[in-house]
Amino acid sequence: MRVPPYAVAVRIVEQERTKFRIWFPLFLLWPLLLVFLLLTLIATLIVDIARLIAGRRRTYTRLVVECLGVVGETRGTEVFIEDKERTVAVTVR
Amino acid sequence: MGQERERILDLLVSGKITAEEAGRLLDALESRSSQPVTAATSPEVRSTETPKYIYVKVLSAKGDNVNVKVPLGLVRAGLKLTSFIPQPAMEQINKSMGDHGMSVDLLNFKAEDLEELIEALREMEVNVDAVNGDNVRVYCA
Repeated sequence: MRVPPYAVAVRIVEQERTKFRIWFPLFLLWPLLLVFLLLTLIATLIVDIARLIAGRRRTYTRLVVECLGVVGETRGTEVFIEDKERTVAVTVR
Repeated sequence: MGQERERILDLLVSGKITAEEAGRLLDALESRSSQPVTAATSPEVRSTETPKYIYVKVLSAKGDNVNVKVPLGLVRAGLKLTSFIPQPAMEQINKSMGDHGMSVDLLNFKAEDLEELIEALREMEVNVDAVNGDNVRVYCA
């Protein structure tokens, strides 16, 4: 599993001049995400254990882990939109 | 490689090159960097590499261009999530997809199939040329 994206860069260029540029540091959210993840994992583990005792397949913990995997795989996504007046570039790093 | 990539993106956003040209340069840069040092540079060798990204490029005749690059890992991870969809919901999805002409049974989707599917995407290329001059290209590299 890849680590979650650490930044999102957005750049808007109009008539060959950068009009707007932002580099959003997602890594600042990592501690919050970690706390949220830990709490969620505790809750899902409890639910999964209860479901296991009831004789059902446990899946919720895996679901959380897979969702984290999806977030991690967004790294490398790039979107460029260009028209006659401006160019918008969004990059997930 | 990072600096070269930044340079290409700078050229794109400053309008010195088009999205199509930037896409071609980035493709060339990636294919160059993903090759082992000892590997031959023949197209046959390159074509055996597992694709890493799916590209969607829309070139409009009016000059509106869209260039999207999505990691195939995201597709893989997203498809894995389908195994968590409850059976009744999955049946409804299958039915709805069937009604719209897509007879894909997601219930029979297994991890091995997923790898095979992604492997097969290497060969895939969709190229649509519209009468009005618009061009849409979808491919993996």
